[in-house]
Amino acid sequence: MDPVLEVRDLSVEFRTARGRIKALRNVSFSVQPGRIVGIVGESGSGKSTVLWSILDLLAGNAIVTGGQIRFEDRDMLTRSTQEMLALRGEDVSVVFQDPMTSQIPVLTYARQMRDILYRRRGLGKARKREMSVEMLDKVGIPDPDMRVDQYPHNFSGGMRQRAGIAMAMLTGPRLLLADEPTTALDVTMEAQIIHLLREMQRETEATVVVVSHNLGLIAELCDEVVVMYAGEVVEAGDVRDIFHHAQHPYTRALLECDPARIEEKSHRLPVIPGDIPDLVQPPQGCIFAARCQRVMPRCLTEAPPLVEDGQGGYARCHLLAGPGHDVNWPPPPEVLTVARGAPATTGAKAVSSEPLLEIADLNVQFNTMGPVWAKVRGVKQPWVTAVVDASIKVHAGETVGLVGESGSGKTTLARAALNLVGSQGGSVRFEGQDIRGMAEAAFKPFRRDMVMMFQDPVGSLSPRKSVRALITEPMKIHGIRNVDPDHEAERLADMVRLPKALLSRYPHELSGGQARRVGAARALALNPKLVIADEPTAGLDVSVQGEILNLMAELQAEHGLGYLIITHNLPVVRHISDRLAIMYLGRIVEEGPADEVFAAPLHPYTETLVRGVPQPDPDRRRTHVVVKGEVPSLLNRPRGCDFVSRCPHARALCHQVVPPHVTAGHRRTHACHFPLGAASIPEKEGSSR
Amino acid sequence: MSVIPSEVIIVKAPDIRESAARERREKLSAFLRNWQGVVGLVLVVLFFVSAIFAPWIAPYEPNTMDIPARLSPPVWDHIAGTDQLGRDTFSRLLYGGRVALKIAVIGVSVSLAIGLLLGMIAGLGPRWLDNLLLLLFDAVRAFPTIILALATVALTGPSMEMVLAIVIITSIPQYARVTRTATMSLRNTEFIQAERSLGASTIRILWHHILPNVIGPLLILAAMDVPVVVSVEAGLSFLGLGVLPPTASWGTILNEGYLVIRDAPWMVVAAGIPLILTTLGFTFLGEALRDIFDPRMGRGR
Repeated sequence: MDPVLEVRDLSVEFRTARGRIKALRNVSFSVQPGRIVGIVGESGSGKSTVLWSILDLLAGNAIVTGGQIRFEDRDMLTRSTQEMLALRGEDVSVVFQDPMTSQIPVLTYARQMRDILYRRRGLGKARKREMSVEMLDKVGIPDPDMRVDQYPHNFSGGMRQRAGIAMAMLTGPRLLLADEPTTALDVTMEAQIIHLLREMQRETEATVVVVSHNLGLIAELCDEVVVMYAGEVVEAGDVRDIFHHAQHPYTRALLECDPARIEEKSHRLPVIPGDIPDLVQPPQGCIFAARCQRVMPRCLTEAPPLVEDGQGGYARCHLLAGPGHDVNWPPPPEVLTVARGAPATTGAKAVSSEPLLEIADLNVQFNTMGPVWAKVRGVKQPWVTAVVDASIKVHAGETVGLVGESGSGKTTLARAALNLVGSQGGSVRFEGQDIRGMAEAAFKPFRRDMVMMFQDPVGSLSPRKSVRALITEPMKIHGIRNVDPDHEAERLADMVRLPKALLSRYPHELSGGQARRVGAARALALNPKLVIADEPTAGLDVSVQGEILNLMAELQAEHGLGYLIITHNLPVVRHISDRLAIMYLGRIVEEGPADEVFAAPLHPYTETLVRGVPQPDPDRRRTHVVVKGEVPSLLNRPRGCDFVSRCPHARALCHQVVPPHVTAGHRRTHACHFPLGAASIPEKEGSSR
Repeated sequence: MSVIPSEVIIVKAPDIRESAARERREKLSAFLRNWQGVVGLVLVVLFFVSAIFAPWIAPYEPNTMDIPARLSPPVWDHIAGTDQLGRDTFSRLLYGGRVALKIAVIGVSVSLAIGLLLGMIAGLGPRWLDNLLLLLFDAVRAFPTIILALATVALTGPSMEMVLAIVIITSIPQYARVTRTATMSLRNTEFIQAERSLGASTIRILWHHILPNVIGPLLILAAMDVPVVVSVEAGLSFLGLGVLPPTASWGTILNEGYLVIRDAPWMVVAAGIPLILTTLGFTFLGEALRDIFDPRMGRGR
């Protein structure tokens, strides 16, 4: 069959002040009709550039220097603007990453979808509306007839992405492009969207190209995979071949770095050392040579051969053919080909009995209106409770993972612990001293001992300050004058392994991983005892995530730090946490030793999170979605158990009574009337540790 | 739509440790590549030099009358002609520039400083204070500058100090408003939260973290405000509410030229040219500064 889309030797450059960035170099791949093809790569790999090239929507400073993009026998690159206009949205349409910014906030969905159908002059308004309603119904939006007249802000994040898919499918495109379609969504929503995309593809027989950095999504959704690195396709082939018999060292390394793949608990995660090469002057020879564990002299000088596997797949590597051919490559899947971080954590960690941080029954409320207005309107509770009766302990030398979806109140809990937001009840003790609601002046000394690493690596650094000024600032804040700031800056840079040349740089010049190191250096500048890390791996590539987590583990071993790690990404924390606390709608629903919680969840929500993560294994695709619906708004918290509206095991009691926190065994607590596998708990208890 | 992923533009760290010097060199070269900025800078420098060195440059005393040579067209002796009292217009314009410079420098810097402070207080302070300050700003802005000037002058009589006071009072709200908005959008950003979590005091946050991030747009605003201030002075003087004759100012010269526009149209033209050039100069400079001041802009373009 003729391919629907064929990209041949596509090369794209970006003109910048520093010279031309050769963002794509001879990229080729083809997409057969009715297939779902995934383009996977880390940031800077050029995967999005490919997508925008297809649509001829590249930025103004981009130049296509060569190649062809054939869509149904015609080259997209030679089409006129008029032809492209007729094509976009009609034959080729896009599902965007962030439905928040890709939909028009001031128009209803009915209007936006009618506008998409503007070329169909024969259809009346009523018919167009009908089509929109049908499509919204297909993507699983309840009450589509009513919902179609609402605005994007009336929809929740997941619903908005569903509507985004509906808009993309409305014209019945033959080619659907999806740019990181689930990146902005939570784990449970991600599973639903993947499912929906598969279903829609099966129904319309459209051809789909998905761009993502998420290996789980690719494995779960795609039939074929194209792996890109630094603007080149390094490997392409059937999804099973890629995931089970990766040929290229980069593909192999990428798969091994994915935390969801790692089964055993480890404080040292695999990493790909180094950075993506500077694409103004791409290196000669193999593009991956500088970071490859199996690099040979010829890799640095000669372009690697293209080796086909005979089934349409291919890889470019010297190991596969020619003089560098190694019959033992690739090694069996159990063998790790990439390095693990330096072995810092040897032996058991010293966990003291006295908790460093002890939060008990903490409540945090946010006012929804002023007190006067509430009186006038007769509202009895002019607030929402973001954190309800949360209790958590962190010991020195211990890592506690606090896991929940967006809106679960995990970040609020951390901020309340640090006195950054007010709290309304309960206690927060640090080394036995109650610090809740302390005045800032009295609290200041505690800020040396308990610090927070914020979510956005670059955004949490003051943009007009040099790295040097940023990492020595804590000393200035706390009036420490008997140290040499330059010396301290270098010491801290060494500690977090930040190249000293970067000390004079500004935050926007740093990569995510580098900025994260600066954040860590700032946090550790005053030798704290407790570090609260909010999504320490957010915004980082898979290969860099490991480096940061390894660094954190090393620093913990060295300084006996207590960590409270806040994340939505269960696979990442599960490997580094000693204990896990699962949070849902402001309540901690389950807490206990990490491996036990992961292996035998007691709360159905925990089970959802454990099962909800897409596995980077195309043979373990889920056939059904574990949990439906979305996290309810704090404004209408369900009666009874918070999870009742989504729980697959909900019974009558759950609808009426809020489940209390129950201690199961002596180390696990949960808040569920009917915990899963309740009978097997004592055995688990005995076998642990 | 910005389609290049920002991560494509990865700047490899070269092994140099001096950042300040490198940054400065980069900024300077960026500025020199911007022709508007260069033209603006030249005009602004010209404005400053001509005003400061007016007594040395001017061929005549600004107030020396030469009745026989009155209303002379531009000739070699009087390159911008003379007025109806025979005073050399070119010399008067140079001296008028001193008035404009004084008003511009003092007026803009004082109102910038006060506006910046009030704006940051409004943006970071409690809600009631914010509301109070906003009310104040809006009340001031509700008065048209000229009406305010008329009313004040009616009470105190025209003088240069009055012009300055009016310019400052009417300019404060715009600086304060811009600062307030910028401060508010910054106050919930993660880096400010991060500073708080490290224990930074409010003053430290204001001075070290908010100020550097709001000052850029404000300086540009100030550069673009100079022509406004200069023309307010000229306008008030034109109406006889500002600088009093015989002191030369661009406004008074315009006013005098206006009276004889049929006989000596060059006078109005001559008085208009420095106004236009100054306006243009500061506007160009302001825009060029905006382009390079923000380190996040201008890269990869």
